[in-house]
Amino acid sequence: MFFRSGLLPALVIGFSAAAYGQTAQEIIAGTDRVRNPGQPFHSIDILTEYVSGRPKAQSHLAVYSKEDPSTRQFRNLIVYIEPPRDAGKMVLLDGHYFWFYDPASKASVRISPQQRLIGQASVADVLIVNLAVDYRGTLVGTEAIQDADRREHQCWHLDMKAADDRASYNRVEYWIEKGTFYPIKGKFYSDSGRLLKILYYKAFQDRLGGVRPTVGIIIDAVDSALVSTINFLEARFQDIPDAWFQRDYLPRLKAE
Amino acid sequence: MLFTLAFRNILRNRRRSAMTRMAIAVGTIALLVFGAFQGYLFDSFHTNVVQRSGHLTVYRTGYFLFGEGNPSAYGIERYKKVLALIGDDPVLRPLIYVLTPTLSLMGIAGNFSGENDAAKTFIADAVIPSDRDRMRRWNAFGAGRVYPPDTNLDDNDPMRGFVGLGLARILGLCRSLAIANCPPPPAIHREAPGVASEDFSNLRAEVAAAVTPNAAGKPRLDLLAATETGAPNVVSFFVNDAEPQPIRELDDNYVVMHLTLGQQLIYGRGEPRVTGIVLQLRRSSDIGPARNRLQALFDQHGLELEVRDFAELNPFYTQTLNFFRSIFLFIAAIMGVIVLFTVVNTMTMTIMERTNEIGTTRAMGVRRGGIRRQFLVEGCMLGVIGASIGLVIAFLVAIGVNQAGLTWVPPANISAIPLRLSLLAQPALIVGTWVGLILVATLAALIPANRAARLQIVDALRHV
Amino acid sequence: MAKEPLVRLDRVRKVYSVGAVEVVALRGISLEIPAQRFSMVVGPSGSGKTTLLNLVGCIDVPSSGMVEVCGQDIAALHDDAVSEFRARNISFVFQGFNLIPVLTAYENVEYPLLLSRMRAGERRQRTLAMLEAVGLANQQRQRPNELSGGQKQRVAVARALVKEPQLVLADEPTANLDSHTGASIIELMRRMQQDLRTSFIFSTHDPQLISHAEEIFTIRDGELVEHSSRNGF
Repeated sequence: MFFRSGLLPALVIGFSAAAYGQTAQEIIAGTDRVRNPGQPFHSIDILTEYVSGRPKAQSHLAVYSKEDPSTRQFRNLIVYIEPPRDAGKMVLLDGHYFWFYDPASKASVRISPQQRLIGQASVADVLIVNLAVDYRGTLVGTEAIQDADRREHQCWHLDMKAADDRASYNRVEYWIEKGTFYPIKGKFYSDSGRLLKILYYKAFQDRLGGVRPTVGIIIDAVDSALVSTINFLEARFQDIPDAWFQRDYLPRLKAE
Repeated sequence: MLFTLAFRNILRNRRRSAMTRMAIAVGTIALLVFGAFQGYLFDSFHTNVVQRSGHLTVYRTGYFLFGEGNPSAYGIERYKKVLALIGDDPVLRPLIYVLTPTLSLMGIAGNFSGENDAAKTFIADAVIPSDRDRMRRWNAFGAGRVYPPDTNLDDNDPMRGFVGLGLARILGLCRSLAIANCPPPPAIHREAPGVASEDFSNLRAEVAAAVTPNAAGKPRLDLLAATETGAPNVVSFFVNDAEPQPIRELDDNYVVMHLTLGQQLIYGRGEPRVTGIVLQLRRSSDIGPARNRLQALFDQHGLELEVRDFAELNPFYTQTLNFFRSIFLFIAAIMGVIVLFTVVNTMTMTIMERTNEIGTTRAMGVRRGGIRRQFLVEGCMLGVIGASIGLVIAFLVAIGVNQAGLTWVPPANISAIPLRLSLLAQPALIVGTWVGLILVATLAALIPANRAARLQIVDALRHV
Repeated sequence: MAKEPLVRLDRVRKVYSVGAVEVVALRGISLEIPAQRFSMVVGPSGSGKTTLLNLVGCIDVPSSGMVEVCGQDIAALHDDAVSEFRARNISFVFQGFNLIPVLTAYENVEYPLLLSRMRAGERRQRTLAMLEAVGLANQQRQRPNELSGGQKQRVAVARALVKEPQLVLADEPTANLDSHTGASIIELMRRMQQDLRTSFIFSTHDPQLISHAEEIFTIRDGELVEHSSRNGF
């Protein structure tokens, strides 16, 4: 099954290993390359929260992302643009720590794990999962699954367990399209074994030097009426100073 | 002769001395009845607190001061070994009535079934149900409520428990729990303007199917919490009933669950721990020795654990007791002053009337000290008679109240408990009041007696 | 009978302050009263009779001068010792009887004996004897308010004599009694004096009483005006 034509471009993308017998690590590395451009970048995203299909809230965000080469953790600085009442507020996602900064009070406060259980922070938790660093797992096999638009894809099915105590989810299942390494679907489980979130990626487009997903749909498995979507509107490479990802530096940043 | 004289002199002015004796008696009755009420109150309050939170709780060092903000961070490691250490100790074992681990935790409770979409932060106690029942049977003073076994928790059903009434109401559990006088929460719809609706039903179908149905018609809650390591976790919890809690803050937030469920939620993939180990002793008087022994054990084994008693954990308890004590002292002071003034007044008048007699007695050769002693004895005797009358009446009142079977609802309580006066159980109160008021009466006689002693004989004899 | 005088006063002055005014009750009086006699102090009201008796009875102290009773200088004793002295040696009989109202006749008579260390049996014996002597044995359980004036004074006399004092002082003892009763009281006291050899000092207006006097001291304006003796009856 590994010799289907769709796989060849994936081989060209970067694997020197033989096309026979991809390991879970290799698949993860491949899908990471689809998601992450490899350089610091700046994007404008729209985060919409729906309850039973009706839009409850929508935020426009400016996101600055940079990988820390030593830890291989991604650092994201999120600046709120819309709605006006939230404009200027910032959230710094630094590995496993979330910091919230309010320009009105010039105070930054850590968002505790309790506060990340529900709401926008819980959505962000799913999006920043770093499979390569925090999880170890196996390739279960190949399956055909439907994506968010009900189109079928042949996918590698990965079953990952938390590598250490710091990983947010005890277990993650990932379906990655064979050949393209596109991330199609993810399922995130709690320590008790219950499903917490389902993540769908779709609308793969040319972006930042590669074909990348531009829409993410996150379904809350506990409160099933809740669905959040994130639209990556535009993006460009940008040199981002390390200082921007320091909590103490936040007051000096101006919203762009 | 001294006493004969004193006694007959007291009876001399029937009405005046009756008033004085009545004043002393009333003072005695007031103090004894209030003291008896207070004594009973202490006993039943004490019982109530000990039933609910035991006598001593073992915590990890620092929990008492800082743990409230993040209870799971102060879990006791290898708690089963600690339990064994305490339970097997030869000094502690005969003192202990119940030894049980508990876990305090907090999180978010969600009612996401059907049409509901309600979430609320909660604080919870995760306990071992049979131990909790056993603790509620503690009744060393015979002054507490007797609780029937709690059917809301079951040793063999870890997913069952109960919540505060306010929490049930906020989460919209009124109908499913058949609670009366419980309005459903209003539906609040926020909409983002200018954004179209979407149909996610096919995606959500996968999730909806996975939801566990309610068991035995009892509503199910999702309890979300961050594990000790910060990961989000969720468990299913079946609400057997909603119990009103005496304090509003508790009523709106409280969940009681099985220890196993709590450990699952908080410790997830890690070693299950507990935040406290509760000891309920057979007798409250053993708190001191038990506490010392526990501390010695911990020091000996190098364990970073500390011991807190129920008064430290329930400042309301100590505050209430101190409040009543100060009221008692206040009443005692007032009664003392009244008795003092009454006796001074009576003795002064009596001396004035007997001035001539004092002169005669002194002329016969009685010394100043003898005169003083005479009137002190009279004052003392007034006190003895008055206080004794008061004592007898107080006993009758106590017996009467106890037989009447009255009840009352103490503050921070939901249900009524019997109202009793525990007088016989407080010998110190009886003796103290009796002796105290007699002393006051005697002291009160001192000033007039001194004045009588210092009278000049010739002036006294001149008096009619 | 060259005996030590019972009472000796040497230039005794007594001054009272009544508000801002000073009253001189005795102006440097000196006298000697012999023992075992019926002595009387006579004089008009305000002459200082009562004051004199008070000083002799040790229930008052002089402003200056010496008062000596039974050989004891009173001024040398402190208050408790004076009380003790009185308890042993001096008794009073008052114009108003001055019995303790809550005590029976028996108890009133017994009272002075309680101030001494006497055994209960002896006390009882003496009290009963004294009650017999004054003819009130049948009234012993009655309280003063149940007795007539004469009976009360007889109790008072019994009380005064039960301890067999050296000296009995009586201020107008017959003033509140009719003449017949008064006579019987006087008779009683004379008999007691003979039996017990007690000294009596009276202050009185009563001519009946005066007629029994063996010594008469006349006081006027705080001074001794006359002293006459009559030898025995």
